[in-house]
Amino acid sequence: MTAAALDLRGVPCPMNWVRTRLALEGMAPGDRLDVSLDHGEPLASVPLSAREDGHEVSVNGGVVTIVRR
Amino acid sequence: MSLSDLEVERYSRQLVMPEWSGEAQERLRSATAIVVGLGALGSPVALYLAAAGVGRIGAVDPDPVELSNLHRQPLHFTPDLGVPKAQNAAVKLRALNPEIQVDPYPARFDALNGEAIVMGADVVVDCTDSFESRYAVNDACCAAGVPLVSGAVLGLSGLVLSVRPRESACYRCAFPVEPAAGSVPSCREAGVLGAMAGVVGSIQALEAIKLLAGIGRPLLDTMLQIDGATLEQTLVSTSRRGDCSSCGAVPAAAQSR
Repeated sequence: MTAAALDLRGVPCPMNWVRTRLALEGMAPGDRLDVSLDHGEPLASVPLSAREDGHEVSVNGGVVTIVRR
Repeated sequence: MSLSDLEVERYSRQLVMPEWSGEAQERLRSATAIVVGLGALGSPVALYLAAAGVGRIGAVDPDPVELSNLHRQPLHFTPDLGVPKAQNAAVKLRALNPEIQVDPYPARFDALNGEAIVMGADVVVDCTDSFESRYAVNDACCAAGVPLVSGAVLGLSGLVLSVRPRESACYRCAFPVEPAAGSVPSCREAGVLGAMAGVVGSIQALEAIKLLAGIGRPLLDTMLQIDGATLEQTLVSTSRRGDCSSCGAVPAAAQSR
């Protein structure tokens, strides 16, 4: 299991989700990705999209932690 | 090789699709598509394949742009009158997407040059307008084992069939006998509405992208018939013929040698 971090503050929707998805694609099941996002639309929609893709998601402040499915 | 920042931005709205992925995008980038015919069907097909990021597009057409083409062929513009369509397509597609390679073939696709044109391609999209040329494209694809998306439009009716040679019914399996000359009106006689050709060409482009990226369920062993007047769509099952001269034991392209 590896962990990675992605700082996507300042990156608007849907580019932030595109970047997140591409990062997840390069990881293995069970790997963890911490994504820093802006408040508002990014923090509202990226966790939702990640859950829709079947990943395990938790939000802590401005950081979304995604465990790859 | 992973996608560049510019590619990620260019393709971002398809990369967000749940059915899509960076891997699908890279498959498209490493693919070659041949578009045969750059008219009413070939215009939307070539534009959408180039825009979606198909890495190499072969653009085949022997004719120059004519004034009467422009109502239905949105790849060609009024200042392009007289320019060979293959050459004009290359200019327009490169302007749309400089990330891809476009190779113009200003030639008529026939039984002699067909196999060489399609050899090594990952998909061929038949956008020609006669039974003779559709059989030639189908025969070349079956001989070379290259997947094919065949399309036709007449007036307000359209038809699309995808083919994986020797796995699913080919165009000749579906239409083994060419209708007698004169029983089918020519495109000029029957007329065609540009928007209807756009519908059919867009479906062909979608099918080609599905085949290249490996997503969805292509129209294999299935013909889509669409009526533009009512927008009624019918899926018609078709199946391989053991005695097909294109995809059977002895391919037609080999017989003609």
